[in-house]
Amino acid sequence: MVKAYKQEHTYKHPWEIVTSASWRKFTDPENTQTLSHILEVETLDRSLDTTQGKLYTTRAITVHAPGPWFVRKIIGQDICHCVESSVVDARAKSMALTTRNVSLRKYLEVEEKSWYEPHPENPEGWTVCKQETSIKIKPLSALATMAEKVEQKCAEKFLQNSVKGRVVMERMCKYLESEASGFSL
Amino acid sequence: MKEKRKPSSSATSPCAKLRAAYHDCFNRWYSEKFLKGQWEKEECVTEWQNYRNCLSQHLEDKHLSRFLEAEEAFGYPSAGRDRDDPSRPFKSSTSSQ
Repeated sequence: MVKAYKQEHTYKHPWEIVTSASWRKFTDPENTQTLSHILEVETLDRSLDTTQGKLYTTRAITVHAPGPWFVRKIIGQDICHCVESSVVDARAKSMALTTRNVSLRKYLEVEEKSWYEPHPENPEGWTVCKQETSIKIKPLSALATMAEKVEQKCAEKFLQNSVKGRVVMERMCKYLESEASGFSL
Repeated sequence: MKEKRKPSSSATSPCAKLRAAYHDCFNRWYSEKFLKGQWEKEECVTEWQNYRNCLSQHLEDKHLSRFLEAEEAFGYPSAGRDRDDPSRPFKSSTSSQ
């Protein structure tokens, strides 16, 4: 009982802009309305490998519980806590993120892996974001009998949210580009 | 139905100001230094400590202790361009097919 899907999206902006935007995606106040399912984001840990140029970050992300209303009814909760671990390799121009839920794990396990890398066809100008999501309902949980439906609904919800996420990313990229061209020293 | 409910902490979070100050510093450092190869020195250290101290004081009401345990259990994803890393779902280049 696992629902898995992959997505790929090309941002027509350089990797530096896109990864800068991704740090602002959840935290800039103007995005909270669009991304209303993200309730809170806190940075728990951050470390810099000063010899390799790698930045490690762990964030706590509180989201409005995924899936349809009947899931919330059964689990008796409407928020879900997730942890996002990420590594940015500045030298290799790669950003990798993994997000997992840490609460509600007796019902379901969701894992989302994302990568931002320069687009092979236009490495200086474009960035490709690859994403793999898996949603797994735990076999003996209260949700198991309707697992397929729940997984399907969750997947739909996640896809809707990733569309919103891309809208915000585009907005942040444009903002950062205008800032870079207008105010650079 | 849209619930407007947010956790009590979001707008009024006791750490919101310190968090914003840290983000400002971090975002600037990330774009202007880290991405340009200047990664030999950590910056925003004071901002980070202030924010982090505030968070640890409010660890319980934010369920953060649970996050920290999970963090240790999971570890970090692999970065870099090592294409044969088994944890990478996409091995071929984007332009294929």
